[in-house]
Amino acid sequence: MIGLCLSDPHPDRASDGCPIRTLSAARFAGRYRLVDFMLSNMVNSKINTIGMILNSHYQSLINHIGMGKDWDLARKTGGVTFFPPYLADERKAVNNELDGPLQRVTEFLADRNDEYVLVADSSVVYNMDYRKAFQAHSKTGADVTAIYTKKKITSGERENTVALVISDEDRVTGMELAPPNAESVNVSLGAFIMHKRHFIQLVAGERNCGMLRFSRVLLAEALNRLDVRAFEFKGYSTHICSVETFFQSNLEILDINNRNALFDFEGRQISTSRKDSLPTKYGKDANIQNSLVADGCQINGTVINSTIFRNVKIEAGAVIKDCVLQDDTVVEKNASLECIITDNSVVVSENRSMKGYSTYPVYIERGRVI
Amino acid sequence: MRIYERKECIAMLLAGGRGSRLKSLTEQVAKPAVTFGGKYRIIDFPLTNCVHSGIDTVGVMTQYQPLLLHEYIGKGQHWDLDLLHGGVSILPPHSKPGSTAWYSGTANAVYQNQNFIESFAPEFVLVLAADHVYKMDYKAMLDYHKERNADVTIAVIEVPIKDASRFGVLNTAEDDKVVEFEEKPENPKSNLASMGIYIFNWRVLKKYLYEDEKDPNSSNDFGGDVLPAMLRDGLRLFAYRFDGYWKDVGTEESLWQANMDLLDDLHLGFENWHILSKSEGRPPHFVAPTGSIKNTLITEGCEIYGTVENSILSVGVIVEEGAVVKDSVIMENARICKNAVVNYSILDEDTVVPEGAVAGESLADGGKLNVYSRGVVFDKSIEDEGGNTQ
Repeated sequence: MIGLCLSDPHPDRASDGCPIRTLSAARFAGRYRLVDFMLSNMVNSKINTIGMILNSHYQSLINHIGMGKDWDLARKTGGVTFFPPYLADERKAVNNELDGPLQRVTEFLADRNDEYVLVADSSVVYNMDYRKAFQAHSKTGADVTAIYTKKKITSGERENTVALVISDEDRVTGMELAPPNAESVNVSLGAFIMHKRHFIQLVAGERNCGMLRFSRVLLAEALNRLDVRAFEFKGYSTHICSVETFFQSNLEILDINNRNALFDFEGRQISTSRKDSLPTKYGKDANIQNSLVADGCQINGTVINSTIFRNVKIEAGAVIKDCVLQDDTVVEKNASLECIITDNSVVVSENRSMKGYSTYPVYIERGRVI
Repeated sequence: MRIYERKECIAMLLAGGRGSRLKSLTEQVAKPAVTFGGKYRIIDFPLTNCVHSGIDTVGVMTQYQPLLLHEYIGKGQHWDLDLLHGGVSILPPHSKPGSTAWYSGTANAVYQNQNFIESFAPEFVLVLAADHVYKMDYKAMLDYHKERNADVTIAVIEVPIKDASRFGVLNTAEDDKVVEFEEKPENPKSNLASMGIYIFNWRVLKKYLYEDEKDPNSSNDFGGDVLPAMLRDGLRLFAYRFDGYWKDVGTEESLWQANMDLLDDLHLGFENWHILSKSEGRPPHFVAPTGSIKNTLITEGCEIYGTVENSILSVGVIVEEGAVVKDSVIMENARICKNAVVNYSILDEDTVVPEGAVAGESLADGGKLNVYSRGVVFDKSIEDEGGNTQ
C-alpha cells in the first residue's frame, strides 16, 4: 500500500496571526508536528512509500521531514516523495500561476506495483494500525473504506468536521460538513483506503486538492457510483483545524489517558525529528504543576496547566497558566501569561501581562517582542 | 592496501575498557556507554569533539561488554559520522592468520588495527580515551603539534598537586617539551596530568608499536610502555595545555560529581559545540499537579508525580506520588514508587525503588554515596522484616 498525504491550508482567523505554515507542520505536544502522527502510523502499518502532496507554505514541512530519516523512511525502495506545485508552462510564470501536483501523483502511482493507496489527512492526530482497516477493506470488497471515529465534537471543531452518514452494512451514504452538535458524531478521520485506480479517477481533472475538497466534494459526489464503507477507529483522536482546536488539543494532552492513547497505544511509538536538545533545567525558584515540558528549557518561574515546547526560557517570578508556548519563547521576570499561544521565538518582556480566554486564546505570532 | 580517501588525521578511540572503578555500573556495559547528564553517554564527548574539530574518521576499539556500545554508535548517524569515506568504524578484536588475540593493552589495540589506519594513509593519529567529559578542539591541538614539529603531543591539564598521583604526570621543560613521564607517581614533581589524549606522527608511532610488540616484557600500554620508550630515544614529545572543563568520570564519586556540576553550569550546550547524541525521541516530560521540582535536570519521557531536588533524571524516569528524590543521579527508565525516598545515590538503568522504600543516605547528614545496580532496590528494614517488596 502507498500512503498519500493530503492536507488543507492553514485555518481561519488569519488576522489573528495564525501560524503561517501548512497545518501538517503545526506543532503539537511539546515536540511533535502533526504530520509525525500520520508518518508514524503509516510506518507502523508497514507503509513505506509515502507521497506528500504540498499546497502552500510547505517549507517548514520539508525541513522537518527531510529525507525521512527519523521515521526510517530514508530508504532505497520507497521512502518519502514530495509533490510541490510546479511551473508547468514558462509562459504562465507571468501570472505566478502554478500547476498543482496531482498529475504527477497520478503518474507516480501508476509506476508502482502497489495496488492500494491510503489517502490521509495529516492534521488529524491519532495512533492507529491501518492494517486492520485494510483487512476490513479486503473483506467487504468495498471500493473505498473511510476511517472514522465516534466522538462528541466541540464548537471549535465543528466548522471543519466532516461527518459520515452510515447506513446498513457500514455503507457510507452521505457526508456532512459541520454537522449539528451531538453527543456522538461519526467523524471522518480523513483517511481513505482504495484501489489506486479509484483515486486516479476521483482526482481526474483536479490540479490540486486538499483533504476537505477530496472528501467533501470529490468523494461525496461519487457516493452513488462507488461502494464506500466505513471502518471505525476506537481510540483517542483530535483534529487540529483552528486556533481554538490547536489550543485545546495541546492542553488535552496533559491528561495521561490521552498521552497513553497517542504515544504508547498498543506499543506503537510516534517518531519525530530529533534535535539533541539539552535536558530541561529547573532552577531553585521553579514551581511547576500539571504541565508537559520538552527538552532544552530553562524554567525558574511558575508553570501551571501548560504545554511548553523546546528551548523555552521562563525566568524567576514569571507566571504561566493555561498556555501553549512554542519553541524558543522567552518569558522574562515577573511577566504573567494566561490562555496564550506563542509561536516560535516570542519574547515577553519583564512585568508584561497578557490574558486570553479558554475559548478564545490569544495567539502571538513568531518573533514578536511584547 | 587500498586507500579510499587520504585523511590528514584520524582518531582512534579506546573504548574497550571496563572501567572497573565504576563497579556495578559497568557490569553490563562498557564505560564509554555509561549514561551521563540525563541524555548522553560518555562516548558522546570524544565523538562530538572529533566532529566539531573536523576529524571525520574515527575508529572505535571495543572489547569489554560491547553490545550496548555497538548499538548506540550504530553507523555514526547521530554524530553526522555516517560518511561514504571515513565516519565511524567499530573495531572489535578479531582473528587473523596466525593469531587470535584480545586487545592486551591500549597500544596493542592500535597495533592490531594498523590496517584500518593505513587505509586512510594519515599523517597523524589522534588517540583518545573515551572516559572523560570535556569539550576540546583537537584541531587546535593538531596545529600546536605541527607548529612544534613534534613526534608526539600529549594534552595535559593542571590538577591540584595532591591529586596528581592518580594520573600520568608530565614533567616538562620551559617550552613544554616533555622531559619525564611518570605513570601514577607517589610523589609527583609536577601538576600537569595527562588527559589520555595523544597525537602521534603515524610513521613514528607505527615503528614504536612494532618494537613494543617484540618486547615480551611490555604491557603494551601507551602510558606505561610506548611513551617512556619514545622519551628514552629522545623523540620530541610536547605537552599541550588545556584549561577548560575536564572531568574524569572513572569513579562512582567523580561520575556523581560531574553530573552535579551540570546544575551549576549546564556546559553541554554552547552554540558551536553542541554535544551530539542518540536521542530517544520520547514524548516531553510531564509534571503532575502533585509534582515539585527544584534545581534539577529532567529529560524527555519522565513523569514526575513526586518531589525532586538537586538531581539529574535521565530519559523515562518515573517518580510516583509522595516519592522524594534528592541529590541523586537517576538513569534511564528507573522508577521510584509511591512514598519511596532516594537520597545521595546513583540509580542505574531500569532500577525500581519499591513503594515506601528508602535508598541511600542523606547527603546533608554526611552520608556516603550509594550506587544501585539494575534491578530492585530493597529497603533494608523491609528486607529484614521479610515484607512485601513488590
